[in-house]
Amino acid sequence: MAAKAHAVEILPRQIANKSNKQALLDAIRMTLDVQSAAIRHNTQTFNRNRYAAVAQISDYDQLKDRARQIKEQAIADSPKLLQQLEESVHRNGGHFYLAPTGVDANNYIRDVLVKHEARLVVKGKSITSEETHLNHVLESAGITVAETDLAEFILQVADEQPSHIIAPALHYSRERITALFKRKFETDLPLDTGEELTRFAREKLREQFIAADAGITGANLIAADSGSIMLVESEGNIRMTSTLPPLHIAIAGIEKVIPSRELFGTFLELLPASATGQPITSYVSILHPPITAPSFAAPGKAEKPREFHLVLIDNGRSRMREDPVLREALYCIRCSACLNSCANFETVGGHAFGGQTYSGGIGGPWEAGTGSLMNARFAELCTACSRCVNQCPVRIDIPWLNENLRQRMNQAQPASLMKSAFGALTGSAPEDRTAPLQKQFFGNYHTFGKWGTRTAGLANSSLDWSPAHSMMENVFGVDPRRELPKFPEQTWEDLYREEPANEPAAASRSDRPVLAMFADVFTNFGSPERGMAAIRVLRRCGYEVELTPSLPDGRAALSQGMIDTARQQARTMVERLHPYIEAGRTLVVVEPSVLAMFRLDLRHLIEDRTVVEKLARISFEPLQLVWRAAQQFGLDLRATFPADRWKHGTRLFYHSHCQQRTCNAASETIGVLRACGFDVATSSVECCGMAGSFGYKREYYELSMAVGEDLFAQVRQAEDRHQPRALVASGISCHEQLWAGLKRAVHHPVEILNSIVR
Amino acid sequence: MNFLATQAANDLLEQFVASARSAAATAEIVDRSPQAIGDAILATAGDTARILFAPPQVLPAELFTVFAADPRVVTQPDSEQIVHSGVGVTEAFAGVARTGSVCVDVDYQRTGFVSLLTPLHIAVLASEYIVPQPRDVFRRDVLNGEGLTRNFVFITGPSATADMGPLVRGVHGPHRLHVIVVR
Repeated sequence: MAAKAHAVEILPRQIANKSNKQALLDAIRMTLDVQSAAIRHNTQTFNRNRYAAVAQISDYDQLKDRARQIKEQAIADSPKLLQQLEESVHRNGGHFYLAPTGVDANNYIRDVLVKHEARLVVKGKSITSEETHLNHVLESAGITVAETDLAEFILQVADEQPSHIIAPALHYSRERITALFKRKFETDLPLDTGEELTRFAREKLREQFIAADAGITGANLIAADSGSIMLVESEGNIRMTSTLPPLHIAIAGIEKVIPSRELFGTFLELLPASATGQPITSYVSILHPPITAPSFAAPGKAEKPREFHLVLIDNGRSRMREDPVLREALYCIRCSACLNSCANFETVGGHAFGGQTYSGGIGGPWEAGTGSLMNARFAELCTACSRCVNQCPVRIDIPWLNENLRQRMNQAQPASLMKSAFGALTGSAPEDRTAPLQKQFFGNYHTFGKWGTRTAGLANSSLDWSPAHSMMENVFGVDPRRELPKFPEQTWEDLYREEPANEPAAASRSDRPVLAMFADVFTNFGSPERGMAAIRVLRRCGYEVELTPSLPDGRAALSQGMIDTARQQARTMVERLHPYIEAGRTLVVVEPSVLAMFRLDLRHLIEDRTVVEKLARISFEPLQLVWRAAQQFGLDLRATFPADRWKHGTRLFYHSHCQQRTCNAASETIGVLRACGFDVATSSVECCGMAGSFGYKREYYELSMAVGEDLFAQVRQAEDRHQPRALVASGISCHEQLWAGLKRAVHHPVEILNSIVR
Repeated sequence: MNFLATQAANDLLEQFVASARSAAATAEIVDRSPQAIGDAILATAGDTARILFAPPQVLPAELFTVFAADPRVVTQPDSEQIVHSGVGVTEAFAGVARTGSVCVDVDYQRTGFVSLLTPLHIAVLASEYIVPQPRDVFRRDVLNGEGLTRNFVFITGPSATADMGPLVRGVHGPHRLHVIVVR
């Protein structure tokens, strides 16, 4: 037998199409091996700068509302705006073409260029032209296409698809660019710094700009009233492309059209700040072409009259507009904030978390809308951690879109007796019973929790039993390297019934605020002691506390794309919570992903707006109420919970849960712990990488741990060798992840407070 | 009232200069005289062999008489000169205090090329055309609504890229931007 070959090198183009799941898995492996360091560095730099830049916009939230409103209206009025735009472009002296498909757009552009006898075309970055594969068509017609954006230039040399919607070559480190250029251009020039590489590319491209017969750009926005286009860039190549050659063609999707040029102002500030984290980029061109200034004639050549064509493509967008879910993707202004604030994206980039053209959280809906649903399989990498939700300048609920894609993909799977019986037994809604067993297993966590705690001794010993292990792996796809949490013999509800202090508050005695502690399924079946600790701490803070029945809230099912199951569960839960709402209770939720259900996600599952808004308003994380007790009833935190009583020391490393941060429910925990006298270092990662069930899945284990590496590194950095910090986290899956990465005990804030209370 | 208006204008001017500098441009404030403007432009241009000049549309041409008298200045450059000159001088019809941007018309004679193809671009801006925020350029009641009608570009610092790894200033567009604010 021949010696075993080296691992086959996977080329990015080979895994662009994700309709085959193996392509997604290969892509994750390849990007982790080759690209991850550069992607992390670049996306995290964008992300840090973005936080700083949006903080400089004094009316950021209102501006986002305004942008959302403009886009909603523009998409609603799209047919009318397109008609108005056509008139405006004609009035300016330009040509207008509305292309039903990408092929139509390509053919039109090719014909215009052929008519002009154009042999060399310079091109600015346009992701829309990637969607239509324009270059390929032009090159087949004998036209040379020079990509002039340096990132696109790299990709053209490397023959790769973009890995990011605004920085398409951000998966390339400087070292890899040097190696690529040396290989492809066979040059001995020194290309060992960013300056040298830039100079090399600039000199090559300067010749092309001067000799070009035509320029093709995209457009960030288009105004129907005046035919104006907005072009955002930093290198100057788009200015050259749009103003030097006599022929300018702009290509864009129909969703880029807004009513008027006056509205550019709103986006001009939001877009660069949300994208690269700059207050504005080096150049923002505002043109209503054709411009009248003479075109540039290369030395020795005759000057030609200017001509402009605006090519708008539909290519599935009108269908997206009719789709209640995908319609929201049309509001996207392509800033990439959702890519840069996504822990999974930061780790693998768009060659794994992306398709032929579009990438990141918003990429799935776009691939599904302009291509096919199964090409959007990479949407599996959206864990619904929700970190992108507050970062989106047009307030798109990206996790919700991806959960819907997941449901559509589940429903496109063939039915089987096995899946259907399993679903019926464990609690899947009929619509969700074609979902893979793995999804139905994680989506029905509460059922397994119920069975597991009833038979805890047996269940736990069987988890250690190897046939059970292999079933978890082979049937449900649980990675064998993960330790499955053991089921307790008693649930939170059981413990609560036994709690001695648990006498119903006598009406006469109770002028204290009454809290309803929601017995979420994760705490109820996973860490009941934590739930009890929360009750005791809040009672000590002066609250009356009662426990609700334990009910699935829909989170587990929603995260698997089992939306109908989630809807059923949410409806039942809201009904059962009704008496508590009526009684004016404040709701306390220990598990942050369930808090996020109350604060963010119920609106998708429950029609009654009033009750949805009410639940969002009255639900809190336990430490928020501890903080409130200190602020409002004058509770002395230091005296009540003195840090020096804690047996693990006063130095902590606290990692707040991703959804907890999105709900703005994390800062109080840090405030409380510090007020108690703890020295608290905090993480700045967007997500730990576990993200509920994601990190348990065999196919995503490596990615999950790679994401976690940033968090583990921050812990190590916050500790000097001799002075470790105790690990503290609020989310149940963050606990698992920190344990997996650092093999050290992880504590919950309420457990700390409960153990030091005076 | 005048005092407050003057104070506000001064604040905008100061903010503009600070923002332009933090965007990696250089900026200075000069008096509204042909001599001061000429001196400032020529000092920045240094010993370059040829200076391209796109004559102004908004500012009075007289303000540039001292500068334009320099023998190296070319006002009607041909293509060869456009691509082989060291310095381009244009006016800006607006400035933005928060970002340090200047707005340059790209549709008036060769202003677009002169502000784009030379390694050093010098923009001359009158202080009364500074607006607080980028979005203000798109208001009808500001700058006579010119931001709604012109073909123009917001220029903020020199051209730049991070595509080759580290941040590099000076890509296809100018490597240096100097803004002269005329008070």
